Formats: sequence, structure tokens, C-alpha cells
Amino acid sequence: MVVRLEDVSKAYQLGEQTVDALREVNLSIEAGVFMALAGPSGSGKSTLLNLIGCIDTPSRGRVLINGHDVSGRTPDELSALRARTIGFIFQTFNLFPVLNAAENVEYPLLQFAELSRHERDERVRRLLHVVGLTGFAKHRPNELSGGQRQRVAIARALAAHPKIVLADEPTANLDHRTGRRILRLMRRINQQTGTTFVFSTHDQKIIDMAQRRIDLEDGRIVRLGVRTGSDWIYAMERKDDVSDDNEDAEA
Amino acid sequence: MFTLALRNVFRHRGRTAMTLAAIIFGVAGVVLSGGFVRDIFVQLGEALIHSQTGHLQVLRTGYFEAGTRSPENFRIENIAQLRQQISAIPEVQEVMARVSFSGLLNNGRSDWAIVGEGVEPDKEAQLGTYLKISAGRQLRDSDRAGLLLGQGVAQGLKVSAGDRVTLLVNTAEGALNSMEFEVVGVFQSFSKDFDARTVRIPLAAARELLGSDGINGLVVSLKETADTGPVANLLRIRFAGKRLEVKTWVELNDFYEKTVALYDRQFGVLQLIILAMVLLSVASSVNMSVFERVGEFGTMMALGNGRGDVFRLILMESALLGLIGGLLGVLLGVVMAIAISAIGIPMPPPPNANLGYTAFIRVVPTVLAMAFLVGFGATALATLLPAARMSRTPVVTALRANI
Repeated sequence: MVVRLEDVSKAYQLGEQTVDALREVNLSIEAGVFMALAGPSGSGKSTLLNLIGCIDTPSRGRVLINGHDVSGRTPDELSALRARTIGFIFQTFNLFPVLNAAENVEYPLLQFAELSRHERDERVRRLLHVVGLTGFAKHRPNELSGGQRQRVAIARALAAHPKIVLADEPTANLDHRTGRRILRLMRRINQQTGTTFVFSTHDQKIIDMAQRRIDLEDGRIVRLGVRTGSDWIYAMERKDDVSDDNEDAEA
Repeated sequence: MFTLALRNVFRHRGRTAMTLAAIIFGVAGVVLSGGFVRDIFVQLGEALIHSQTGHLQVLRTGYFEAGTRSPENFRIENIAQLRQQISAIPEVQEVMARVSFSGLLNNGRSDWAIVGEGVEPDKEAQLGTYLKISAGRQLRDSDRAGLLLGQGVAQGLKVSAGDRVTLLVNTAEGALNSMEFEVVGVFQSFSKDFDARTVRIPLAAARELLGSDGINGLVVSLKETADTGPVANLLRIRFAGKRLEVKTWVELNDFYEKTVALYDRQFGVLQLIILAMVLLSVASSVNMSVFERVGEFGTMMALGNGRGDVFRLILMESALLGLIGGLLGVLLGVVMAIAISAIGIPMPPPPNANLGYTAFIRVVPTVLAMAFLVGFGATALATLLPAARMSRTPVVTALRANI
């Protein structure tokens, strides 16, 4: 298992009100899966991704990355863990505007003292080729289209050869066609390299491109689905909570 | 990291230009004000040296503390050997004998209490470049019974060049003696007090008047004022155990050190004000820049950068601003100092002085270094708080700023 969550809950304090963003979530993510986190806004998708990505800590429960419990680690220890284990793709791309495409992809590698300049350059060149941006290495983000920016972000997420890539609404800022292309690219990389991909989305057509799906509602996992051909088989279903989801799925 | 910092600095060129302008003008202000204050010190020092005390004086031990009341008790005899020893030092330009006395100057109608100096006129004329002759001429070696008096004395006795006056003094033996002199000129120095009580007569006339061959001190003029300390130390070693003491012009002019201390304190306060202004200006700019880029710092941390990396990046960006602003500020300050000094600043007479003067802005390496440090330091200081605050922001909170 690349990721395991045991009885994980996350509560936020909003003024005097406590908001339960995640409630007693148990989840295991196998290496090499291509998984979608589905659910409406406020269902806890982003919170779950943040906890898996170690950029947030649970209020209760344990998060294990590669079998190691990350609770109690300092922010800098978590940063070091993220640098080598987790890649991020953001909804808003989050590229550094003052760096060109190649420099953005190279950025996470600058923390690896063991990599020579030549090795970094070679890896950047190969990744830009993988995402189809060989001719755009010197372009800054403002000189790229939305889809191209997200491709750079994908290349950057893969630069450190992470065990898992987390993508929070990676297609939300893209038109539908570009979004599907980005997902296909991610899927192809997943299949070719075996890198685990977990992405959140509320777009049903994008969800259907996933191999596994987790449906969240009110901070709880209400359904775990595995794709077989063009159908979903649900391994777990919380009946009292999923009537709407079933209708959506049938539709 | 350096490339990222450098590019971030010039990301918003308008804002960077405004911040740089604040640093540059602050630093240039310190260069100009510091150079102006330093010019006051130099001009005041040179005025004192070249109108009153010379660079050094070799006196009989105790004369400085008690000699003015009874200068006849602190005479130095046989000065030829002393003069030769001092003149042999390469940094020394001239050695002049002086004898001091007090007495009354009479114009035939009234008396005026004076402090007199018997001097070697031609040598003193070379030293006294800051002594302005307002009427008549300088005293010369050939003036056997000539007298040069301060403007205050001339006004008090209503005498001018060409008038005859009588000088009444106590001799070394305690008797009263008087001599008639012709006023050859009236001088103005930097100090109103000095001009209101001082008269100068040739050394030979003073000796005749006082009935003594001794002198009170040897005035040493140096080629460079900066050599004062080393030459004074050398002479102190040479004259140790000979009942002679060596006083520098600073020691002879107590008020100079007080003036320097006063102006230094004022300049220090001015530096603090400029530092505060630069700090506030840069703090505002850095705060805005950091606030706008919270999401970017969140991305950095998500990609594996530690808190220290974020802190260092923000600090490095400001350090670059401080470095560029500091250097450009020093450059602007130097250019302005040279331009202003080419014209000069006409200054009114300082307190207790008769003469106005032309001030300049001196380019002093220590002031330049201090000005640069003010600009650089203020910029770095202004960044510490926002950088620390940002580096402590949780990643998830920082990333939320992107949405």
C-alpha cells in the first residue's frame, strides 16, 4: 500500500463552529492505481487529498505513507517526505511565473543534491517530451495555454519520481476537451510508469476515466468503486447515504 | 534559489522601482548629511589649527592647566635644540616659538584687558591661513614694534591699522613694563572670543617687554593633519622626563571634541530617522509582495521546500533590493556630493563666530559604508517579520490563497 488512512477525521474551527471535514475515514491506496475522488463541493475531497499529501494533519487517526506513520513529524520533515514521495498537480497549475517551463519542471529536483546538472537537464528534457512540450521549454507560464500549463505541472509533479501523484481538480480550469486530454495523459503515464495517481473531480465524464473511484459525502466515504470495462462495481456502499449518488451513476 | 529571487525582485518593476527609490534616496541622504557634518568637523578643526593652536604644541609640563594665570612660571629656555629635534621629523612643516602674556592695551583714552602672544610673524603668517586680515596687513618679522590685534579688541578700543597703542604687562620679575606699538592690522578668526582678547606682537618685542628670553611653547605645524596623533606620540616618547608635555590641537581645543560629540549625536539621530523611513517603506512593499505570493510560497512548501527555504528566499529578495539600492544610493550620494561641492554651500557665521564660510560635502569612506549599511540593514530588517510570518504559515493555508 502506498497510502493508508486509519480512522482519520479532520475538523476545522470556523469561529465558534466546528466543521467536520472528514469523519473516521479508512482507506488504502495500492501502488499503481488511477483513482478518482468524487463528490460534491464540501464533501471532503480536497481535505482527503491534503491529508494524503501530508500538507495537512488529521485531527484524529493515522496517515501512513509507504508504511510509515507521518503523525508527529515536523513541518520540515513532512516537506522532505513530500519532496521525494509525493507529486502535486493543482487546479490553478501553481507554476512559478518567473521560471520558464523547463525551470518549473526542474524546480523540485534542485533539492536533490545527488543529482548533477546534467542529470537534471536530461530528466527535464525527457519529461517535457512525455507531456508533449519539447518545443516549449523556454516559454514562461504566461506564454502557454491552460492545457500546456497543466502539462508543465504534470511534468513537474513527476520530476522527482514520486510514489504517488495527487491532483486536486486538475481539469477544473480547463475546457472539457483539454481536460479529457490532460486526464488521458495522466492515465498514459500511470500505465507506462506505474505511478499512482489520485485526483479529485466532480465531473462525471472525468470520473469515468478512472480505474478506481471513491465517493465522498459530508466527510464520509460512501462508496468505493472499481471499473470493469465500462461499468463500475462498488466494493463498498453506505446505503443510507448514497441514494443520490446511485441515481447519478444510473443516469 | 538565487535565480528565483533575482527574477522575483524584478517581477513588478514599478513596485521595485518605488522601493529602490526609497532606499536610494535614504542612502544618498545619509551620504550627503554625513559628508556635510564631516566637513564641519574638518573645517572647524583646520580653522582652529590655522588660526590659533597649530597641530601640536610643546609646552612646559603644567602650563596647559595653570600656565595662563602665570605664564612667566612656565617658560622654556634654550629652544634651539628642541626646535631642531622637532624639525627633523619628516611630517613636520614648521616649528614656531610663542610666548604668552596677559596685560592691558591702552589707546590713550582707555584700557582693554588682553591675552598677548609673542610670535615669529612670517612663520605664523604661513600657519594662519584661516586668520582673515580685516584691516591693515599681517605682522612681519621686520615689524619691531608692530602689533596685530583681534577685531573685538580693535572695536573695544576703537583703534585701527596705523594707530598707536601702549601695551602694559608684568615682567618675569613682577615689575610693570610698557611698550608702544603701531597697529599694523586687525584680524578675524573663527572664534569671536579669541578675537575679543588676543593681540600678537613679534617674539623679540615680547621678550623685551617681558624681560625674559624664554618662551611658553613651540607650535608645530604639520604637512598633514592626519599625522597629528603619530607625531604627538613620537614627541611624547622623545621628551619623556624633560618636564615637557605635548598637546594636540584637539586637546588644546576642548570645545572641538564637544562639538564633534554633539554633531555626531545629531547625525546618529538623523541616521535612525532615515533608517526608520527606509524600513517602513520597504516593509510596506515587502508585506504587499509576500501577501500577493502566499499561494506561491505554499506551492514551494508543497513541492518539498522547508520553512527555512521560504524564509531565505524572501530574505534573499530583500537583500538583493538592499544591495542594489544601497550601491545606487551611495553612487547617487557621491555624485551629488561632488556636484554640490563644486558650487559650495554659503554658510552664516556659526555661534560665537564672526566669519561665515563655504561648506562642502565630503566623500568619506566610513560615511559611505555607514550609508550603505543603513540602506541594506533597513531593507533586511523590514523583511524579517513578514518572512518569519510566511515561513510559519501552514502549507494548506498558503495553498488556499491560490484559489
